[in-house]
Amino acid sequence: MGTLTTKFSTIQDPEEKHRFLLNMGPQHPCTHGVLRIVLEMDGEHAMGIDPILGYGHRMHEKMAECRPWSGFYPNTGRIDYGGAIAYNHGYCALIEKMAGIEVPERAEYIRVITVELNRIASHFLGVGAYIIDLGAFTPILYMFDDREDILDALEDITGSRLTYCHHRVGGVSKDIDDLFIKRTRAIIKNIRSRFDMYDRLVTGNIIFQKRTKDVGIIPLEMARRYGATGPVLRGSGLGFDIRKNEPYSVYPEFDFDIPTGENGDAFDRYMVRMLELEQSLRIIEQALDKLPDGPVMAKVKRIKLQPGDCSFSVEAARGVLTYYLVGDGSNVPYKLKIRVPSYSNLSLLEELCKGELLADLVSTMGSLDLIIPEIDR
Amino acid sequence: MDFSTQIIKKLKNIGTEAVQADYKKQGYHIEVLLNKNQVRDFAKIMLEKEFYLDFVTAVHIESGFQAVYQFGHFEESCHVNAKAVTEDGAIQTICDIFDGANWHERETHDFYGLKFTDHPDLRVLILDEDDADLNPLLKNDKKLQSLEGITRVEDSEKKPVKKKKAVKAKEDKEKVKSEDKPAESC
Repeated sequence: MGTLTTKFSTIQDPEEKHRFLLNMGPQHPCTHGVLRIVLEMDGEHAMGIDPILGYGHRMHEKMAECRPWSGFYPNTGRIDYGGAIAYNHGYCALIEKMAGIEVPERAEYIRVITVELNRIASHFLGVGAYIIDLGAFTPILYMFDDREDILDALEDITGSRLTYCHHRVGGVSKDIDDLFIKRTRAIIKNIRSRFDMYDRLVTGNIIFQKRTKDVGIIPLEMARRYGATGPVLRGSGLGFDIRKNEPYSVYPEFDFDIPTGENGDAFDRYMVRMLELEQSLRIIEQALDKLPDGPVMAKVKRIKLQPGDCSFSVEAARGVLTYYLVGDGSNVPYKLKIRVPSYSNLSLLEELCKGELLADLVSTMGSLDLIIPEIDR
Repeated sequence: MDFSTQIIKKLKNIGTEAVQADYKKQGYHIEVLLNKNQVRDFAKIMLEKEFYLDFVTAVHIESGFQAVYQFGHFEESCHVNAKAVTEDGAIQTICDIFDGANWHERETHDFYGLKFTDHPDLRVLILDEDDADLNPLLKNDKKLQSLEGITRVEDSEKKPVKKKKAVKAKEDKEKVKSEDKPAESC
């Protein structure tokens, strides 16, 4: 166990001699990254759960305080590698809000298209990896095939495949062209054609259902106490989505639904993600149809961050992402807090899985769709 | 009476300074200034009114720390941002009211060394155990601002603050000269 102090003391108690510590991670495949969890086991049941964070900690918040605000663009793409563009978007929108910059309409549309494409790619990654955790290898191959098309398309306009840095304060760095639009329409068609297959291959699979139904049930009240958001919250039956509740960018112009689950179990969280794919496709389709002409970048003068604070929330692939910036009149942020959704979503694991089977813990954790570098920052 | 007016009234009843914020410029709807003993009462109202915890963090200022609490609401479009200044480096925990605050407070303790009294488990969370006393987000004297330096000012009041800051910078320079320079550069 190294020098690390865990919070479990019952192990020393002779009455509880049959209990033992089990170390899961930081290289365990089911932790989806370098997350370590120390478990106090009673047979097959996890009686104590202590997540140990920080293996991928880079101190992004300190970096933000050490450079002009514009130097922080690349960092925003490296916090959540699954859905990085939403992080670009949130940061740019925050600075725009502070400086009162208007963004050209075409740029807002391109932002929405890229963010939603990225959300689909992120859900494919999350769901595919989750199904691997449960022992099925085939679905991720199909999902990564679809994801690959999206990454190729995004590579064309952003220049990168994973750690995007495409949005800028005042617009986006590169306009989209006819080829991209044609490509995206083909992607939409292709992904839609596979929904039936996913239903038969995964959703209807009896093993998958037995592993996920009635596992890791999150009551609504628990989600609220921990501040869980995104598909984790929506799986519990509440249709809360920043895109609808506090609309930003051009989201009010699109017609889309917020899928919700009923029981709040792992299966519902999976279903919410799969249904969100279709909603994101709908948004992209409408955005491509309505795409206005015009510039993609506003004229931006030098920005000083005025004294005072400002907060901006967007709906990232995993839930509510909030940037909170305190300025002191210079062009370097005095403080930047990044509220990441996975952090709050993981913090309820201890209460959720106490006394559960280890195999169910793995299933529950996968259904939270964690990105560890996002939690560690 | 709309939802945020209701909340403001409720918050004023327990003696806090709650005002409507400029959502277009600040990104939240209600700004609350607490003294450090009101934090728990404030959190209880947030729980009662079914807010969810957005985050807890702190800002390092000359007189100590400014603890920042932000809450959002699942049904209403309403973000509440509360700030409490503490001079002695300690503030009451709210993690028995909002369980989600547990990790946020541990993280803030890691980064700033701000103590949350009665917190059940203030071990390091994100930093390494050996770096428990590093407190990476503390500012050095050169960069440290007073509370006024990071507080929003209306356009008409801007000038005097700038002047004040220039005087402060000069003072700070002298202060740094007389004391040992901190190891960290930024």
